[in-house]
Amino acid sequence: MEPIVPPFVPVLLAAVLLPFLGRRTGHALGALASAAVVPYVWLVTEGAHLPAKLFGFDVVLFNVDPFSTLMGLIFGFIGAAGVLYSYASDADNLQTAFALGYVGTSLGAVFGGDWLSLIFFWELMAVTSTLLVWHYGGKAVRAGFRYGLAHGIGGTLFLGAVVWHFAETGTFLFASVPGGPEAAGLAGSVAPVLAAVGVGVNVGFIGLHTWLPDTYPRPHVAASVFLCVFTTKTGVYGMYRVFPQDGNVAVAYMGGAMAVFGATMALFQNDMRRLLSYHIQSQVGYMVAGVGIGGALAQAGAFAHVFNHILYKGLLFMTAGVVVYRTGEESLKKLGGLAREMPLTAGAFSVAALSIAGFPGFNGFVSKGIVISASHYAFEKGPVVVGDFYTLELLLLIGGVGTFMSFIKFGYYAFFHGSYDGSVKDANRGQSVAMVTVAALCVFYGVFDGALFAILPFDVTSEAVVAHVYHTYTVTHVVEGLVLAALGLVGFALVKKPLSGLGKVPDVDSLYNPALFYGTRWLVVGVTELYAAVDRVVVRGAAVTVAVVRSPGDAAGRRLGDERISLRADYSTSILLVAVVLAVLVAASVSL
Amino acid sequence: MTEISSLRPLAAVLVPAVAAAPILASGARPNLREAWTMLASVLTLGLVASMVPAVLDGDVYVTELGSLVPYVEFTLQVDALGMLFGLLASTLWLATSFYSIGYMRGLDEHSQTRYFAAFAGSVASAVGVAFAANLVVLYLFYELLTVATYPLVAHDETDEARAAGRKYLAYTFGGGVAVLGGILLVVHLAGTTAFVAGGITDLATADPALARAAFALLVTGFGVKAALMPLHSWLPDAMVAPTPVSGLLHAVAVVKSGVFGIARVLLDVFGVDLVAVLDVGTLLAVVAAVTLTVASVIALRQDNLKRRLAFSTVSQLSYIVLGLAVGAAAAPSQATKWALIGGLLHIPAHAFMKLTLFFCAGALHVETHTDDISDMAGIGKRMPLTMGAFAVAAAGMAGIPLVAGFVSKYFLLIGTVSAGDLVFTAALLVSGVLNIAYFWPVVYTAFFESQGDSDEKPLLAGPFGGRFGRAARTDGGHADDGHHVHDDHDDHGPFERRAPNGAEGSWFVVGPILFAAAGSVVLGVVPDAAVFLQVVREIVAGATAMGVVL
Repeated sequence: MEPIVPPFVPVLLAAVLLPFLGRRTGHALGALASAAVVPYVWLVTEGAHLPAKLFGFDVVLFNVDPFSTLMGLIFGFIGAAGVLYSYASDADNLQTAFALGYVGTSLGAVFGGDWLSLIFFWELMAVTSTLLVWHYGGKAVRAGFRYGLAHGIGGTLFLGAVVWHFAETGTFLFASVPGGPEAAGLAGSVAPVLAAVGVGVNVGFIGLHTWLPDTYPRPHVAASVFLCVFTTKTGVYGMYRVFPQDGNVAVAYMGGAMAVFGATMALFQNDMRRLLSYHIQSQVGYMVAGVGIGGALAQAGAFAHVFNHILYKGLLFMTAGVVVYRTGEESLKKLGGLAREMPLTAGAFSVAALSIAGFPGFNGFVSKGIVISASHYAFEKGPVVVGDFYTLELLLLIGGVGTFMSFIKFGYYAFFHGSYDGSVKDANRGQSVAMVTVAALCVFYGVFDGALFAILPFDVTSEAVVAHVYHTYTVTHVVEGLVLAALGLVGFALVKKPLSGLGKVPDVDSLYNPALFYGTRWLVVGVTELYAAVDRVVVRGAAVTVAVVRSPGDAAGRRLGDERISLRADYSTSILLVAVVLAVLVAASVSL
Repeated sequence: MTEISSLRPLAAVLVPAVAAAPILASGARPNLREAWTMLASVLTLGLVASMVPAVLDGDVYVTELGSLVPYVEFTLQVDALGMLFGLLASTLWLATSFYSIGYMRGLDEHSQTRYFAAFAGSVASAVGVAFAANLVVLYLFYELLTVATYPLVAHDETDEARAAGRKYLAYTFGGGVAVLGGILLVVHLAGTTAFVAGGITDLATADPALARAAFALLVTGFGVKAALMPLHSWLPDAMVAPTPVSGLLHAVAVVKSGVFGIARVLLDVFGVDLVAVLDVGTLLAVVAAVTLTVASVIALRQDNLKRRLAFSTVSQLSYIVLGLAVGAAAAPSQATKWALIGGLLHIPAHAFMKLTLFFCAGALHVETHTDDISDMAGIGKRMPLTMGAFAVAAAGMAGIPLVAGFVSKYFLLIGTVSAGDLVFTAALLVSGVLNIAYFWPVVYTAFFESQGDSDEKPLLAGPFGGRFGRAARTDGGHADDGHHVHDDHDDHGPFERRAPNGAEGSWFVVGPILFAAAGSVVLGVVPDAAVFLQVVREIVAGATAMGVVL
């Protein structure tokens, strides 16, 4: 099929129309527009592209390659599921319009065939997602502002990288596009670093991640479902575009560190959505590691994990959202025993938790396995080697144990521990449909791993493509999954007691929020006082000049301490003065 | 390039100047008086617009009026650079005229006749600055502009307004003296001050030390109105003027006459190649980079909306100067082309966006008497179209795509990176983030908060508290010195909700806001369709003697 319009067009159109339609019609249109993206990008011929001109530069608004197609498929699907969930969770039309704007701009970013349209939609994505957070009002507003600032900084760094690339190559086009440069990725030595840090804000590099747990727990429960999907995953896609071939060692290790850090911090959390937010960082760590390792196997693994993660993380936020929606409680400390009250939600949660933790039979097991396999077979050994396990591989496995532990904690305190006072209803029909559909896919791609392999950019089962062929269900791999689960169970039993006494664990933002606040305050005071001094000089100087010219006698008198000095001169003094002035002038002109 | 002898440049200056007379004469009949203003602004725009096609073909309209003083011809000419400023000023004068009517009548201001007459005079001077053919004529109109705007700055006739007016005169006339000194040096060195695309030939062979001195004097003088730090502080204080004045004059006509003067000096007096040889562009760029960063930092802490906008103007004007300076310093190279396009395109881009913001601030003042950002929680309900336009323009200021600011910032970034001046790239990028930091709180507090339900603002925005109980001011003192203290932080009730259909205020106010916001978006989405980018390309092609293919 030939491309007709870029896929973001119908979605953004639906977003614009939505506020003017009824709730039911509007949401139906939104879900339809997003869902239509799935067959559309599936059917469009690979390699097709729609060129255009933006501000006089060549750009490509719709570039079809396997990476973009995979992103488009899952974005379109989860967008539709999210709209359905929003409708069932009482989101109003404007909120869903912002959400669809966010979906549309993300689609624009992943289908751009050049850096200019990528950064164009990248920045718009930051705006639409900020609006989505703000729309909830209250405590979400200020967090949304911090979110906007963080993404403003990230986008700015990325923009700097893109401009640098242009200055080096003279074109914005990707290498794969006709007319593009010879080498893929960003040219020069500085641009990739700038881009890695800028994109690093989006994917939640440690130290640049605080917007994630700060923002995602605060807005409407349906808004969180959208937020957990698009920004970080578009970030992973962007990271791949920056390092399209051999990856980057530092980025790979950062991915490993994120996997461990995020899972550890998650363990300390009691707010459900905050716990899940740290797990976004942890899971995105696996994808970033995959991109950092580079090569066919790791990149296929990273994108497989993007695809699967969107399914189970969306599902986790849906289940947490249902709990908040029905009970009004955000904290695990105030919940418990909900499995009896909400069996369907508890079931959906279990599927999602087993998927994210990488239990055999669920989709996370498949994709996480590819990345871990790549960290062993396609990456350096690193400084720490334990038995047959290399450094990055160890980090990723430890992250897996942490994931099991924190989801056992979540499930235990929310659904299985104690009993709930009173009765609550289970998810409503719309929420149930959305959750069951996504949960079914989590199991489907876990059992039928071939279906997942078919949409990956590289065939990980072919020896012609990857050096080490990947098989999901081998004895060692399954045993590995079960051992991780057992370790998680034991680990949780050990830390359960100390954890329950733990208060709020500070993250790095408790350092830099005050630093920024007081730093800018001092800067402003200093600068303001400096210019006030300049200004006083100018204003006083003008006043003195005026006074002197108006009545020179008074001025001279004040200067000399007398009452008043007569400035009259007789003839001889006047002639002398004129002679002196003339002499000075002549001397000056001669010396010039 | 052909010179077309025509009276149209003269007419474009004379129409608004002459209009001041019937405006003064019909003071007793406001509707007739405003009709004169409208007629004059339509005529001026028509005259200027009629010259656009030929100018885009590289032709120049000339009106020769004989000798002004020995060696100096009194000549007006419309070339591409003059057209950029003239077209901008006359287009936005039309919008501002509508807005002035809504604003002045909405507030029932005193001395409206004097106001409208002085406004016409100011626009005449601004068009004169744009169409001047040599430095002396430009200087003449430049000083006239100061005189004509004084009654507008001091319009309130309060002590505060008079003080601001005096300060305005002290700074700008001081700058004028420097410009005059520079002109005399140029005459001494080159024997002429007529603008030549690419620079005056004789100046290139003159003594470099004296040429540098002339450059320094001219740029310092024009730098006062361009609000280069530390010569900027008249601008925030001039915000006591009625908002349409702050909008058209202190975001477009007056401040851009300074920027325009610098552009003329760089492109048509010295020429970019000579500036590169003299090695003076980089210094100017450093001043601009410092100004744009520091002004953005100061803007973070301004609670009064108009003052925050004023510091934003100081910052954004330096984007333009930075583009011009970096472009000139890097000549001749590709970087020159990109940086000049970016800087010059930012003239109309900033004008449309900042005019939108000022119009919005004025509309809030007329309708709700709200001036401080801390009082604006929930005001988006009351004034949805106004604050919507504000949000669009604020996004553009931060360089968000789809609005004019993105395009010009993009060209500027390419220019600075191509020139290898990474410090300047960094300054632009940092300033972009700071723009988010000081504009977006206005947007979210307006739309997503309400009086009773507003989050604490611990990070960047908000007035000083804690150890700094008193707010420092930029003009040599503190806010509690007794001048300009706002104590009305409590009388803004929860805002009522009004539909976004114009019910929020007079169409005389809302219409121009929407027009200016639409202009910012058009410039941001299809800059090629808007005339300004074509004019800019024409300027750059002439100034760098390399065809701009783009």
